[in-house]
Amino acid sequence: MTHKLTCTTGLLLGALFGTAAFAQDHNAVTIVLSEELELIDPCMASQSNIGRVLLQNISETLTVFEPSTAELLPKLAESWEETEAGTWRFKLRSGVSFSDGTPFGASDVVHSLERSISDQISCEIGGKYFGGFEIEAVAVDDTTVDITSDPAQPILPLLMSSLTIVPEETPLEYVQTPVGTGPYEMTERNMGTDIVLERREDYWGEMPAVTKATYIFRSDSAVRAAMIEVGEADIAPVISELDATNPETDFAYPNSETTYMRLDHATAPTDDRRVREALNLAVDREAFIGTLMAQEAILATAVVPPSTAGYNADLQPYAFDPDRARELLAEAEADGVPVDAEIRIIGRIGLFPNDAEVLEALMAMFQDVGFNVTLEMLEVGEYNTYYNRPFAEERGPQMVSAQHDNAKGDPVFSMYFKYGTEGQQSGLVYPELDEMIAKATAATGEERAALWSEVMTSIHEEHIGDVLLFHMVGFSRVNPRLDFKPTIATNSELQLSQIGFK
Amino acid sequence: MKKFIGKRAVASAISLVGLVIMVFFLSRLTGDPTDLYLPVDASLQAREQFREINGLNDPLMVQFGRYVADLAVLDFGNSIRRSRPAIDVVLEGFAWTLWLACVTMLLVTFAAIVIGSLAAFRVGGIFDRIATFFSLVGASAPDFWIAIVAIVVFAVNLRWLPTSGTGTIWHWVLPVSVLFIRPFGLILQVVRGSMIGVLSSAYVKTARAKGVRNRPIIFVHGLRNGMLPVITVIGDQAAGILNGAVIVETIFGFPGIGKLMIDSILQRDFNVVLAAIMVSALAIFLMNLLIDLAYALLDPRIRY
Repeated sequence: MTHKLTCTTGLLLGALFGTAAFAQDHNAVTIVLSEELELIDPCMASQSNIGRVLLQNISETLTVFEPSTAELLPKLAESWEETEAGTWRFKLRSGVSFSDGTPFGASDVVHSLERSISDQISCEIGGKYFGGFEIEAVAVDDTTVDITSDPAQPILPLLMSSLTIVPEETPLEYVQTPVGTGPYEMTERNMGTDIVLERREDYWGEMPAVTKATYIFRSDSAVRAAMIEVGEADIAPVISELDATNPETDFAYPNSETTYMRLDHATAPTDDRRVREALNLAVDREAFIGTLMAQEAILATAVVPPSTAGYNADLQPYAFDPDRARELLAEAEADGVPVDAEIRIIGRIGLFPNDAEVLEALMAMFQDVGFNVTLEMLEVGEYNTYYNRPFAEERGPQMVSAQHDNAKGDPVFSMYFKYGTEGQQSGLVYPELDEMIAKATAATGEERAALWSEVMTSIHEEHIGDVLLFHMVGFSRVNPRLDFKPTIATNSELQLSQIGFK
Repeated sequence: MKKFIGKRAVASAISLVGLVIMVFFLSRLTGDPTDLYLPVDASLQAREQFREINGLNDPLMVQFGRYVADLAVLDFGNSIRRSRPAIDVVLEGFAWTLWLACVTMLLVTFAAIVIGSLAAFRVGGIFDRIATFFSLVGASAPDFWIAIVAIVVFAVNLRWLPTSGTGTIWHWVLPVSVLFIRPFGLILQVVRGSMIGVLSSAYVKTARAKGVRNRPIIFVHGLRNGMLPVITVIGDQAAGILNGAVIVETIFGFPGIGKLMIDSILQRDFNVVLAAIMVSALAIFLMNLLIDLAYALLDPRIRY
């Protein structure tokens, strides 16, 4: 009887405290994400929630960009060189294997690239990084691959930091169990509840300290923050600013997003430089900092974050000068510019925290200097009809509230789309700027950075491209037992190998 | 009885067909899902490719015809968002919701019947006043507030329970408790009202005159007759939870069908929306059938 009772009690306790027992592995971590991973295919890793699980944990790339030093480092490629215009030769690391045991080689790189741009599968990496030009990979031998782009992409090695490598056998459909060369493999996926990665003992590189990572999903920021506080989880990569109340565990980090109001340079009155300058001078940017925007947000002078190559730190944000804004408007009006025309601010619901309040405040500032401005908050589908080309012919004057993410370190991922005459989200129409962007895109090294700097100066001072607002910050909460500090990369990936223990 | 069930099944099937047609076309009115799936920076070519892969370029009637043809062989289509069969996604969520609804409604029913009956026995007494006060507070308190406060008090401050999740039996305590409060308040009031009427009826007075003790009077003579309106409300409340306890699922990280449905509507994952609605409708049909059968069981005058 006593024995039976003991056994029953033991079983009950086991069932009740099972999770607690697992959590006792000191080198295991639990990461609480804001949304479940609906897809877990490596070719979708440019989505931040997927990237945080997969990038450099399960799936690796040929190269990696280090934002803190703005350096491009080798990963699965040991070296690379441009053999002829538009063609780069990558020497691959040998002795590397995928988590399913198959060896890594050039044919895997060829397949990974072909898969990401295939018209049979809608891969986000392909659409985001390999659109707008032709690209082809050819295996020279087992450890050498030539990648050719047309027109030539001088930053092709940087682009390779986005291409997640999968085995040659990976089908042209989304996989449910990702296989990669990274230090971890997915050992468990319980739909709706968690994903478990475990360290591979046969990993080719340096062995990371974290042995096991469990990813769980909680939509509510307060719950994510509470989970760290009570020790149920170790890292919440994204929490709301309102929940970031503990300086010992909470970190603000630049999240590579920049907010701005895109101006339409093809429609009056914003086709007039004085009007665009007046819009910029009407905004009291400092008033937002520490109120509607986080204290750590930075006033922007370019659409890319300060860690980007060619970022011109000498550029100054437009000062708040409503009197000068009124003078400029009066001058423009005297020259026949219809400055009293209604300008619609197009906002996207939920684009960034406090977005509606920020836009309402901006509207009041614009109205204060004499603009006739209205605000419309739209859901993403309708918003995109204003944000993306083709724009409606009879669209009328408008400013589109926008936010742009570039953590890749090179302005090429932004400038053509945002400022080229044919750019997908560009409101600018200047052939000379198109030439400058093309020239900077084709350049390399220091010359490239200098040319991008000129482009950014031209947009900010000569053309007054838009009303730039803030480089944004995100907030994370980290369990004090970890030696880990979020960086700009935390917005798109969370490398377990960078986590240590105190 | 078989005839009754058959009739109800046919009526439900007709409603379901109407529902599917309506939801199919109404959901398409919300717009093209492409903009929600691809990043805002995606090229026109990538957008076109996405539409082609997912059959969104076809005329609406062609899409509907394809959907119906697939449905005829019980193929509910794939979730665009998850790239898996929509019905698998829905059934995974529904299993969690079903458990949550069963556990909650069992506890609610038991507690509301016992407390409501006892409150009705001494109307205006201290027990009645306390029960009425708490049931009214419970019925009117907002779920999201109770959920967050419960986490702060019991998980963060007292550290008695886990904040959220589904791992152990302790993980169920807070979500079930939060879900419990509102239907408990409502059903308790219905039980109380119904029992006040029953306990003042002639046959109960006769039973008392015959010297029957209080407990059998309440729980045997009174309850059976007082249960008919209560069962209707229980069914209504259970249907609400079966359709998804969105707030509780969202805050406590319960992967149920409610949050799935809301997310799928927002993300325009049409096949998941349709599959979820069909599964929910089927569950509610079965539950209504059970309620009808319960009526017959409790009241011998009801025959189908």
